[in-house]
Amino acid sequence: MATLRLENLSKRFSKKIWGVRKIDLEVHDKEFIVLLGPSGCGKTTTLRMIAGLAEVTTGSVLIGDRDVTEAPPRKRDVSMVFQNYAVWPHMTVYDNIAFALRLKKADKKEIDKTVIEVAEMVKIPELLKRYPRQLSGGQQQRVALARALAVKPKIFLMDEPLSNLDAKLRVIMRTELKAIHQQTKATSVFVTHDQSEAMSMADRIVIMKDGEVVQIGTPDDVYFRSANVFVAGFIGTPPTNFFNMEVESKYGLKILKHPHFSLELDEQQGRILKNYDKRKLILGARPENIILTDKDKAIFSAKVLVTEPQGSHKIIAIKLDEQIVKIVAPHKQKAAPGELLHLSFQKESLHFFDHETNWRIEQNGA
Amino acid sequence: MFKLLYSREFRQKAVPYLLIAPVLIYYALFWLYPVIQCFAGSFRDVNNKLTLYNYAFIFKDPTFYKALFNTAFIVVFSVTLEFLAAFGLALIINIKFKGSGIFLFIAMIPMALPAVAVGAIWSSGFATYGWLNSFLYYLGFIEKTAKIPFLAGGNVASMILIIIIDAWQVVPFMMIILLAGMQGLDEEAKEAGYIFGGTKFTVLRKITIPLLKPTITTALILRIISAIQIWLIIVMIYGFQRLPVLLEELVYYVDESHSMEFFRIGIAYSVIISIFVSIAAVIYLKVTGAFGKEAEETA
Amino acid sequence: MNRSVKRGAIRAARMTTLYIMVIGVAMIILFPIFFLVSLSLMSGYESYYEWPNPLIPAFSAKYKLEKSDEGYHLSIYNKAEKRYERFGPEKFGTTAEDLEKISVFVKRQGNSTLKTERLKEEISRLVDRDEVFFSLSKNLLANYKVFFQVTRDAVPSVIRSIYTALTTIAISLIIGGMAGYAFARYIFKGRNLLKLSVLFVRMFPGVAIAIPMVIILGRIGLYDQPLGLSLIYSVTQISLTIWITASIFMAIPVELEEAALIFGTTKFGAFWHVTIPLALPGLAACAMYSFIGSWNEVIQAVVLTQFNPTFPVVVYKVLVGAGAQVNLITAGSIAQAFPAVLFTLLIRKYILRMWGGVRV
Repeated sequence: MATLRLENLSKRFSKKIWGVRKIDLEVHDKEFIVLLGPSGCGKTTTLRMIAGLAEVTTGSVLIGDRDVTEAPPRKRDVSMVFQNYAVWPHMTVYDNIAFALRLKKADKKEIDKTVIEVAEMVKIPELLKRYPRQLSGGQQQRVALARALAVKPKIFLMDEPLSNLDAKLRVIMRTELKAIHQQTKATSVFVTHDQSEAMSMADRIVIMKDGEVVQIGTPDDVYFRSANVFVAGFIGTPPTNFFNMEVESKYGLKILKHPHFSLELDEQQGRILKNYDKRKLILGARPENIILTDKDKAIFSAKVLVTEPQGSHKIIAIKLDEQIVKIVAPHKQKAAPGELLHLSFQKESLHFFDHETNWRIEQNGA
Repeated sequence: MFKLLYSREFRQKAVPYLLIAPVLIYYALFWLYPVIQCFAGSFRDVNNKLTLYNYAFIFKDPTFYKALFNTAFIVVFSVTLEFLAAFGLALIINIKFKGSGIFLFIAMIPMALPAVAVGAIWSSGFATYGWLNSFLYYLGFIEKTAKIPFLAGGNVASMILIIIIDAWQVVPFMMIILLAGMQGLDEEAKEAGYIFGGTKFTVLRKITIPLLKPTITTALILRIISAIQIWLIIVMIYGFQRLPVLLEELVYYVDESHSMEFFRIGIAYSVIISIFVSIAAVIYLKVTGAFGKEAEETA
Repeated sequence: MNRSVKRGAIRAARMTTLYIMVIGVAMIILFPIFFLVSLSLMSGYESYYEWPNPLIPAFSAKYKLEKSDEGYHLSIYNKAEKRYERFGPEKFGTTAEDLEKISVFVKRQGNSTLKTERLKEEISRLVDRDEVFFSLSKNLLANYKVFFQVTRDAVPSVIRSIYTALTTIAISLIIGGMAGYAFARYIFKGRNLLKLSVLFVRMFPGVAIAIPMVIILGRIGLYDQPLGLSLIYSVTQISLTIWITASIFMAIPVELEEAALIFGTTKFGAFWHVTIPLALPGLAACAMYSFIGSWNEVIQAVVLTQFNPTFPVVVYKVLVGAGAQVNLITAGSIAQAFPAVLFTLLIRKYILRMWGGVRV
């Protein structure tokens, strides 16, 4: 097991197009890191640079303390699970898993032991003699996983390994992958565009956009302390609701004004905005932080557009002029379309973002 | 300089060129070099002096114009008719049916036959006492005394005969190429066409044909190139100089004449032919737009 | 109910047209080939003197032996004219020389064996009558035998042809395959131009290249050699090999190679362990395609060989050179066509796949 360090890592596709720009990242031993971002954000390119499948333009990749920037993939001690499985169709499952071990000239008994061990770990011991074409997609992905586990790599790389599976299987595999990680304790880098996958699996999440890192943090960090509007909007379903607010001061208290409502901040919250002197800001409120209340305690009232029952809870979409605001309500909550709802915020959980830079407004910063 | 050569990026970029290099070297040695020799040789006489005599001879020779006309006639009509026939057949046969595997194989046989075999089939078939007349007699189409003298027709009749023979060899193959293309098409694209109100004809014209274009382009360009170079069949059926076409003239001068003067003329012929082929191909590729759009698409 | 009946009727009508078309096309393709085969199994007499030509070659022939004041006369039954016609010399005696002559003639023109003892026996039956009838079985494959015996060069030329075809395959598959791989896997400047210009090579007539090659090959001592010939054949074959292998390699996902790289191979190792085994059936088909192309080629071989012709050249010379009988010609051309047709049978599926993937 080992650490992984990316220093100032960049990848240029053509003269003007950068795939990845200046990434600095330190992955600790045994850590499970998820690279998360929309398609085209550079997360797969980053992973491929770590694997050695893509050339590094500038910067370096260090595994343990060794600089492997120029090393071919086979000399990096990494293994990888591919999005399309990439299980070799002309080899049996056994041969697929044993491939790397045979190249290393491990002895036959050793190979046998390892293959059976990892096959059991991913629950395919009965498939070893089959060819990939006789397997379902899910089974093929398990083979790919077993193949990657068998080499006992320093770094374990996964490129959207679950995205080709159906929704139900994806959730099952998610749990299994996490269990396997806890068992093997392999330093892992996992790429996905699915934020719930990232939240449920990661020790830390690296959120990327347009080839750059936006935020690195634990799932709680990125959820409760989203670094900017993009992160707040990307993490969580339904996404954070944003309101453009005007900032006013009255008797030393901050008041945020919206065409439909105004929000008076108490002293503690006001402190966050103490050094913020711009006239406008973006208010972010997660759906579960907008609560139903009585008419007299309401900050604003609006009509229901549609409701989306989820079983355990219910998502209610309400219409505020042209903006649609989504809130999470208990499943018992009645809300017929057109019905007027009275709403309030859980003030301590609100997010404030600079309306120009879109970055989070921190208490100490300006 | 050395640093550049050994840098990893340079090495990576060089890989495809290194893989292609052997082909380029091979073609330089065994294609470009002889082609240049041909060009150079066509401007020299027996004593190796520069001359335009070879070309002058050809351009003064009425047979050349006849050969040019015949070649153009055969190319235009054979390629067009063969394509239409093959496309029509492919449209009709484009359903999965029992025995399609055998049919596929049968349709490939004529293309696999060597020209000598095709020549043997049809020279024995079109002979007045040949099997075709026998067959027509068995079927009751002709009387014993009224055999059809297939090979006695004039210039155009002879060319039609050649086109029929060529079609016999080419149409089945072209048909299965088109069939393969059609079966590779996305059924949904066609269905969408019907759903949005297309008739069979509009779906064919607006969806099937455009989607098939790459297959059609490839098939036709190779056809045009080989149609210009039809000669062996003609020689086997009519002998040399009865139905002159460009390549037959070339072979005639090169192989049959046994004189250095005529040999040079043959070389000049080869230059002229290659120019015609290139022009035809370039025009065709330009018209179909294979140079522009698709080239970028695949890049 | 009504509608479904109607739909069924339409479907039946469509299937009927389909089968009529399919069978029609198959007939048009097969009939000429049928006659070619049929002719190659006929004796010289059948193919020449019987009109209409019989559809199916006879397995035996009926003969009539007559005696007259001038000597003996042999006749053969003409199935088309439905009568006996004079066969061989007008008359002959019983000298050993004459009998031998008859025997040879029967063999050449009738494709049957008439031993002199048998002839003597038949003659002896003429003691008490003027004519005797007998029939001889025909050797169906006689034309093929004769073709390979008469054409001195036939057998060695077949060996040379095979050698030429195999070296052509080796050269074009190695050189063309490398380029095909580059076109399939890499994006680089000039890729499309190069790929298109490869096709341009085919536009220069093959004969024309063959002419200066006489001198070039002569200089390196490969004129009139199968190896020299395969160097020229490869020029044509490489261009097609590039296109075909490119489409074969394109069909193999890059990830499979990348996975091999990750799990410990070099680039060449990935190619060797993963790409080659997966491409093998396609490459085999491609090789057979080259085989057919090189096996069937005539005119370059005519120019580039002198004393060591390839098989197609031999067939061509027999055919174009006057004098050969139609049944011999057909036997020669079928002998030449056979391997090409056999290989086509083997690779028919791949030919379609190759075309499906080829793009200009």
